[in-house]
Amino acid sequence: MKTGVAKLGLFAAIAFLVAGPVLAGETTGLTDNSIKIGVMGPFSGNASSYSKAEIGLMAYFKMVNDEGGVAGRKLVAVPADTACDPAKGIAAAKKLIYQDKVFMLQGNSCSGVAVAIKREVVKAGLPWIVAHAVSDTISTPTVKNIFHGVPTGNTNGEAMAAFVLSKPGTKRVAIVEHPNDWAHSYTNPARAYLKAHGVDPVLDLTMERGATDATAQVLKLRQAKPDFIIAALYEAETAIFLRDMKKYGLNTPVMGTAGTDLQDTLKRVGDLDTVKNYHVLHPYVDNLDGPRMKKWSKMIHKYYPKQDLTNFSYISIGSGIALVKALKAVGPDLTRSKLIAALDNIRGLHTGVLSAPITWTPKDHRGVKGSAVAGFVDGKPTILKAWGTPYE
Amino acid sequence: MFLQLTLSGVSQGALYALVALSLTVIYRSTSIVNFGHGDFVMAGAFLAYVLVIGLGVAYLPASIIAIVAMFLLGVAFSRGLIRPIRGGPHIGLALMSIAFGFTLRGIAATVWGRDVLPMPRVFNIDPIIIGPVLITGNALFTIGIVAVLLAAFFTLLHLTDIGKMVQAVHQSERGARLIGINVGRFHDFSWGVGAALGAVGGILIAPVSLLHPDLGAGFLIKGFAAMTLGGFGSLGGAVVAGLLLGVVEQYAGAYIDTAMIDITPYLLIIIVLAVRPLGLFGRKVVVKV
Repeated sequence: MKTGVAKLGLFAAIAFLVAGPVLAGETTGLTDNSIKIGVMGPFSGNASSYSKAEIGLMAYFKMVNDEGGVAGRKLVAVPADTACDPAKGIAAAKKLIYQDKVFMLQGNSCSGVAVAIKREVVKAGLPWIVAHAVSDTISTPTVKNIFHGVPTGNTNGEAMAAFVLSKPGTKRVAIVEHPNDWAHSYTNPARAYLKAHGVDPVLDLTMERGATDATAQVLKLRQAKPDFIIAALYEAETAIFLRDMKKYGLNTPVMGTAGTDLQDTLKRVGDLDTVKNYHVLHPYVDNLDGPRMKKWSKMIHKYYPKQDLTNFSYISIGSGIALVKALKAVGPDLTRSKLIAALDNIRGLHTGVLSAPITWTPKDHRGVKGSAVAGFVDGKPTILKAWGTPYE
Repeated sequence: MFLQLTLSGVSQGALYALVALSLTVIYRSTSIVNFGHGDFVMAGAFLAYVLVIGLGVAYLPASIIAIVAMFLLGVAFSRGLIRPIRGGPHIGLALMSIAFGFTLRGIAATVWGRDVLPMPRVFNIDPIIIGPVLITGNALFTIGIVAVLLAAFFTLLHLTDIGKMVQAVHQSERGARLIGINVGRFHDFSWGVGAALGAVGGILIAPVSLLHPDLGAGFLIKGFAAMTLGGFGSLGGAVVAGLLLGVVEQYAGAYIDTAMIDITPYLLIIIVLAVRPLGLFGRKVVVKV
C-alpha cells in the first residue's frame, strides 16, 4: 500500500514537473493589456527588400492598436533581424522565444531561414504564422503550431498551370526556367498539375542566371509552336527573354512567377508591345495602385511615412487579419492552445488584401490555396481570375 | 536558324571580345590581370546612366563624359593604389583590383540597390531583316566598335613607337627605365585606357543585359575565357575567341541543349588548351639578347 502511495506521489510530482512549464508557457508573453509577437525578417543584408512584408504587418498591428487592440490587449511587435541567413535566423528565433519570451511568432521572409528555425519552433510549441516565406516544407506535413498565411510554392505552381490551361484550346505548353531550386519550386508543381490534366510540356528549356541573350531558346520555341509558355525566370532574365521574343516575332502568351512584377517588367523592357502577352502571379485583390489596395498603402504610410511601397509590402497583412480574427474568437482568456484552436477554425476568410481566402483546419495549415494573375488587357494592367475573366 | 544563330552569336561574342580586348590592353601594358575589370564595366555603364537618365544629357556626350571619367578613375586607381604595392607579390596586385572592383559594386548597390534598371539603346532603330536573318542596330554598332578598336590598338601596338614602349615595359620594367621611359606614368596611363575601354563596354553591354551592380561579373568571366582561349596578350586572339565563344554558345543551346549554353565555352577552352597550351593565337616569347 505504502509502495502504491509512493508511486502515486512520484507520478504526481513528475506530472507536475512536466505540466508546470507547459502551463506557464501557455501564457508566456501575455499581460492583461499586451501580446508580445516576435516578428522575424531580413531587416538587413542583400535581401532586406523582403522585410517590407514585415513592415506592412507591423503597420497593421499598429492600426489594430489605434483602434483599441484585441480583447483589451495591444499587439506588441518585437522585431528580430534574420538577414535572410539561416544561422542568424536560428539565433533570432531563440532570442525571441527564450530571452524576449514572446507569446507567438509571425513573419519571416526567407524560406531557407524558415526551414532552419522550424525545429526550434516545433520544440518550443508557440504559435507561428508564416507570413511571407513560401516553401511548402515549412507547413507540410502539418505541424500543430505552424500556420502558412501566404500562397506556398506548390500553390503558386498550380495557380500558374491552372491559368495557362484556362486559355481555351491550350494543349502545347513549353517551360523555360533557371536551373535552380527557386525555379523548380514553381515549375515542378506546375508540371504535376499539367500532367494531371493530360498535358505534357512540348519543350523544357533552361536559361542560366545572368544570361544576356535568349536567341537559342526563342528560336527553339518558335519551332515548337507552343500555345503558352511558363517562364520561371528572375527579373532581368524575364526582361531579356521577353525582349528577344519580340525581336524574333514570337507572340505566344507567357506565364511568369510571383518573383516578377508586371509594371516593373514594363518599365524594364520599355514598351508595352513587349510585355502585352506577359502574365504574372499576383497574390492581391487589385493592382498595387488600385482602389482596393489604397487602404493598405495609406495604412503603411501612416505608420512608416518614409517607406517605399513594393509588391512585398502587402503580402503579410492577410495573415495579420487572420490572427486578429482568431484572437477575437478566443477573447480575453487567451492561451497558446486556445489561439491554435481558433486558428484551426479559420475558414474561407477573405482578407480584402490577398486574392484567395485563408482556410486552416487541424489537418491542413497551408492556408492560401490560390492566386490571381496580373496581365495587360487592352493595354491596362488587370487582375484576372482566369484567362479573359477579371478578378472580382 | 543556323544563320540567325551565327549572327546572334557574333553580336553576343562582340561584347565578350570588347571585355577581353580591354583586359588584354591592361595586361600587355602592365603585366597585371585586372580581376576587377567587370566592375569598371559596370561603373562606366552607371555613369552613362546617371548622365542620360538622371541629367538628361544626350547619349553621345554622356558616353564621352563617362569614358573620360573612367579614364581618370583608372589613372587615380593606378596612382593611388597600384603604384604603392607595385613591387610586392602579384597576388597583392590581383587582390587590390578585386577589392577596388567590389568597392565600386558596393557603391552602386548602396546608391541604386539591387534593382534591375533599364538602359536605353544606343540606337533606337528597328531591327534590320534580310531574308530569314534579323540584326539590331545595337548589335551592328557593337560589332563596328569592336572592329574599330581592334584596328586602332593593333596599329598603335604594332606600328608606332608607343607599341615599342609597351613591348619594352612588358618585357623588362628596369630596361624600360634605363632607356628613359617613365614606367610609373606609363602604367597610370594604361590603367586609364583600360578603365575607359571598360566604360565603352559597359555603355554597349547595359542596354543588352540591363543595368545592375553585378552586371560586369558574368562578362568578366567570359572576357577571361576569351583572353585565355585567344592566347594571353594577343589582341586579335582575344577578339576572335570572344566571337567564337558567342557563336559556340548559340549553336550548343540550339542544337544540343539550352543547359549547355554556359558550359560549352569552357569545354572548348579545355579542348583548345589541351591541344594548344598557349591558346589559339598565343606565341612563346623569345627574347633576343
